[in-house]
Amino acid sequence: MLRTIAPKILHLIPVLFVVSLGTFLLLELVPGDPAIAFLGEEATPAEVEIVRLQLGLDKPLVDRYVIWLGDAVTGDLGTSLMFPQSTVTDLVQQAMPLTLQLAVMALTVSLVLAIPLAMWTAYREGTTVDRVSGAGAAVIISLPPFLAALILIYFFVFNPALTKHLLLIVGLVGTLALLVKSVQAGGKELRPERARRLVGALLLLLFTLWAFNKWPTWPRIGFSRLTSGNGFGENLRHTFLPVLVLAMTEVAIFSRLLRTDLIATLSEDFILSARAKGIPTWRILTQDALRPSSFSLITLAGVGLGRLIGGTVIIETIFGIQGMGRMVAGNITTNDFPIVQGGVLVIATVYVLLNLFVDIAYSYLDPRIRRGSI
Amino acid sequence: MEASDSHPPQGTRALGGRAVRLGRHVANHNAVILLLPLGLGIILIGAVDSSLSDQLRWLMALVGWAAAFLGFRAIGRLNWGNDFDPGLWLAVGWVAIVVLAAVFADILPLAEAVDTVKALTEPSRKRPELFSRHPLGTDNQGLDILGGVIYGARISLQVSLLAVTVGIIVGGIAGTVAGYFRGIPDMIFGFITDSLLAFPPLVLLLAVVAAINPTVWTISLALALLGIPTMGRLARANTLTFAQREFVLAARSLGASRRRIIFRELIPNVVRPLLSYAFLIVALLIVAEASLSFLNVGISRPTPTWGNMIAAGQEKVKDHPHMVFVPGIVMFVTVYSINRIGDAARQRWDPREASL
Repeated sequence: MLRTIAPKILHLIPVLFVVSLGTFLLLELVPGDPAIAFLGEEATPAEVEIVRLQLGLDKPLVDRYVIWLGDAVTGDLGTSLMFPQSTVTDLVQQAMPLTLQLAVMALTVSLVLAIPLAMWTAYREGTTVDRVSGAGAAVIISLPPFLAALILIYFFVFNPALTKHLLLIVGLVGTLALLVKSVQAGGKELRPERARRLVGALLLLLFTLWAFNKWPTWPRIGFSRLTSGNGFGENLRHTFLPVLVLAMTEVAIFSRLLRTDLIATLSEDFILSARAKGIPTWRILTQDALRPSSFSLITLAGVGLGRLIGGTVIIETIFGIQGMGRMVAGNITTNDFPIVQGGVLVIATVYVLLNLFVDIAYSYLDPRIRRGSI
Repeated sequence: MEASDSHPPQGTRALGGRAVRLGRHVANHNAVILLLPLGLGIILIGAVDSSLSDQLRWLMALVGWAAAFLGFRAIGRLNWGNDFDPGLWLAVGWVAIVVLAAVFADILPLAEAVDTVKALTEPSRKRPELFSRHPLGTDNQGLDILGGVIYGARISLQVSLLAVTVGIIVGGIAGTVAGYFRGIPDMIFGFITDSLLAFPPLVLLLAVVAAINPTVWTISLALALLGIPTMGRLARANTLTFAQREFVLAARSLGASRRRIIFRELIPNVVRPLLSYAFLIVALLIVAEASLSFLNVGISRPTPTWGNMIAAGQEKVKDHPHMVFVPGIVMFVTVYSINRIGDAARQRWDPREASL
């Protein structure tokens, strides 16, 4: 095991070195004097000198890098230039939990939705369900996240009555369709398919009525921290729309990928023999086919979590959430370089570590890679 | 609904008894073809007649589109057989319109879309109304949205095409060299691409635009940083397979130099899968550019881009949704069309996809 992990970790060190160097050199890319870029043309020489000292611009480049990296490794990412001044580490500590919560929730939601959808569409390959969900996935993948967020805001926040009634109609039509299907299931006795559809119809009906009844007013902006004392419900109300936007794209990507892998697995001989033994379809799908098909999903889910941490920038800006992305993007226009550098360094490091973690998990799950035969 | 699905496949034309079958075939298609003008008529009436209620106009647009699509598909199938993919050709048509509009933006009869001073007399936040001075409405400053969308298309296309070209040239050459020589060049190549891919894409872009002054050229180069590692890895992977092939061995045994093998034997083969992926990258880069403009760190007013138009409208999305959704829909349809064309291109030209 160690033999497969050690080279990956060793490989990480030069990459992290380049990441830190790249982030550090950002300041060198700034045309002219960064201190003047921050203060503006009207600044007095004394003010410029103070900011230059704070950015360390009075020392040679190599010295500055070594000092900066040493501070960063020990948890000191510098101090923001803007008033009120605070350390970047403090800012990161306030912002990171929000971003992490959004990313983890979005990933969980997307996996919970994508796996059953993939199993269904793979089993029903080529049918209407499969084609409709394929077309839907293509649409969602082409939808830029900020546009998706604004569409959801337009309907959920500004036209809640319309949205509420649309959902009621969809839920009732779905219930009716399930009922019709259960009647069509043939015969007079209560067969398992019929019972399942009946239960499904009942659950859908109950859920629709419950959602219609309890439909909250969704906030346009803001966030309620889990630690703020307002409780989990308030937190959910604020995270629902952002998580929905983030999860949408991931569901489309995950479900199509897992579907392709599942279709390949379902054509294998061991599935045929399981089917010949009379094992019910849902057990074949969940117990026999899912595990060997899930390797590329795991890779993608890990990459997805990294992408979500980076991709919350837009969502945080639209929904007014003070997370990592907004911290970086919001301070670009004010030229507050320490915050941008610190934020980018932290995000990139988390991203790299996550990818390493996925690599290790992957080799742990697939015995062929674990034994080094691939 | 899908009358044509019940038809015998095209092959039956050659079989006996075709007169009857073919006759019904044509008759059915003729009926469906009528849906095209009918659908377009419904869309037009819904778009022009402002006395109808909003809900009815939306419904008419939806029904009209569905009818027109079915009619278009029937015409296509009649002429080019059942393999005709109407969605793909609609996508090609849309991209062609966007490109033409962007190229000829300066000579199109558009109302003022760039200079707020010249638009002082125009009504602001006017609703879209076809056959008026502002077919797609105006924004906060009375600037024409149709004009903004077309000039925005110009920026989007310029930036993304420039970035993808740089990506193909730099990434393609680096990847081919790394894949052919292996060893140290390959290690350096892997190291650089790994480092570039170590940043989440949007965060890398944010980091770069934090330091530069955003113009069309600098944003293109920043976006090229996203394209280079992807294109490079693709080129390397393809080179690895092509380098094993007989024609490379033949060239080498004829005494061809390494430079000749790379530029005359490998690159012509590698460039084809790269080009088929270029569409998908262009679609991604259009979204990335718009995201930067939307976050107010990319190209900003007075130059209109899809991203900064949507950002300007988002405050008023409740009462004036057209300011967000007109540029939004144009952008979405463009990205979707390019993705669609890219999928078709990949299935045709990428050897790895084709072998599946």
